[in-house]
Parts: sequence; C-alpha cells; structure tokens
Amino acid sequence: MDRRKFLSLGAIAVAVMPFSLSAVDFRATKPKSWESDAVDAAIEELYGKDKPTAGSITVKTPKIAENGGSIPVNIKSKLDLESIAIFQDANPRATVAVYTVPENGIVNYSMRIKMKKTGTITVVGKTRDGKLYSTTKGVEVSIGGCGG
Amino acid sequence: MKVKAKLKGAVVKVKAMFKSPMAGTEEAEKKKIKPEYITHIVAKHNGKVVYEVSTGAFVSKNPLFKFEFKGGAKGDELEMTTTDNNGKTETKKAKIK
Repeated sequence: MDRRKFLSLGAIAVAVMPFSLSAVDFRATKPKSWESDAVDAAIEELYGKDKPTAGSITVKTPKIAENGGSIPVNIKSKLDLESIAIFQDANPRATVAVYTVPENGIVNYSMRIKMKKTGTITVVGKTRDGKLYSTTKGVEVSIGGCGG
Repeated sequence: MKVKAKLKGAVVKVKAMFKSPMAGTEEAEKKKIKPEYITHIVAKHNGKVVYEVSTGAFVSKNPLFKFEFKGGAKGDELEMTTTDNNGKTETKKAKIK
C-alpha cells in the first residue's frame, strides 16, 4: 500500500469514529424539567420519582452572597455519578444546570449562578446504578441578580 | 470564549470563560433585549467527551466554568463547543500546558 492510500484510510477511520461518546443534551431530552418552577417537580421530571438520599455530595457556596448575579458554586463528589444537577428555589424556574459525567470523570465542578433572592440550592446526583443523592445549601443574597 | 488548560500531576485543570448575556425570558424583557443564553457546553479531548453540561438562563453573565479531567498530556488539544438558545455554536481549541 502506498503512502497516499494509507493516509486517506486514516482520514476515513477518524471520520467514522463516533463523534461523541456520551453527548446528552438535557434541554432536548428533558425539556419539561427546565420549565418547572418548583425544585421537587424539576427533580421528578429529570430523574424520576425516587426520593434522593441526603449526603455524599459536597456543595461549596458563600454563606452570604453580596452579588446575587454571580454566586460561585463548587460541587464535589466521590460517587461514580452519571449526571449531577443544580437547582434553586429563588428564580422563576428551578433548574440551573445539568452535568453529564463522563466515564472515569472527576466530579469537581465550579460555576457561577444567578439568584434573585435568598434561597436554597439543591444539588442532586444520579449514580450509574440509578441511586439518587442530594445536598441542599442555603444562600443569603444581599442584592438580587437576574436583572432585579 | 477563553479556555485555559493546565496539567497538574495526572489531572488536567481547565478554566473556561464564555461571552454571553445569559438572559432568560424575564431578564431579557427587563433589559429589552432578545433572550440569549448558552444551553449546552461540551469539551472534547482526542475525540472523547470529557466535560458536558446543559445550562439554563440562571447561570451568571459571561459565565466561568472550572473542571478537571484525567488522561490528558502536555500539548494535547482540548476542543470546547457551546450552543446557545438561538442555535448558534462556537468552537475553540486550546493546547494543554
């Protein structure tokens, strides 16, 4: 086989390779959970009716957030999670973000979220064997975000 | 979009900042702009998804995301793609340092 042919074979192999292995757009697959205004209803839409067990997920937030428009949130867990989601009860809709955890992924995610007023952040994780875990954390907001 | 990836031990630490007003329906109405927010972010390393998140309008403006993943090496490329509610996508590649 000459070199040119060999190279083009390689290009085909790359093109055929699955483009993404675990891509799940939760906005497309679970559109209802993004419209719920209550945390419990949003969790039910996303993960089903099972009640989550408390604990096993660490959520780090400031106790008092001066600026509700940018509240740093860090979530960590040692569980073998399939996905993990952040909810809060201060905004018009409950769901903030849903992470899909890749195989052998490290659950250590940081992001900044908006909250209109003082409220509670709920983080729910689903393990690969289908168990749910959750942690809640209250955040006091001095100046509301969300354009308020 | 700004992406920084740094190898530390066996773990690659990534910081990514995106430009978006992250305005949902209510907020856009108040500011008199069109709703515009990122809905989906994916990071790929060697064609494998290492990070994926679906987001709503309650992520703060010009959001900053941090995450870690295993299996990266110095000089490897990390590709990040965002999709917003209007279907606009943006891709950026960054080398792991």
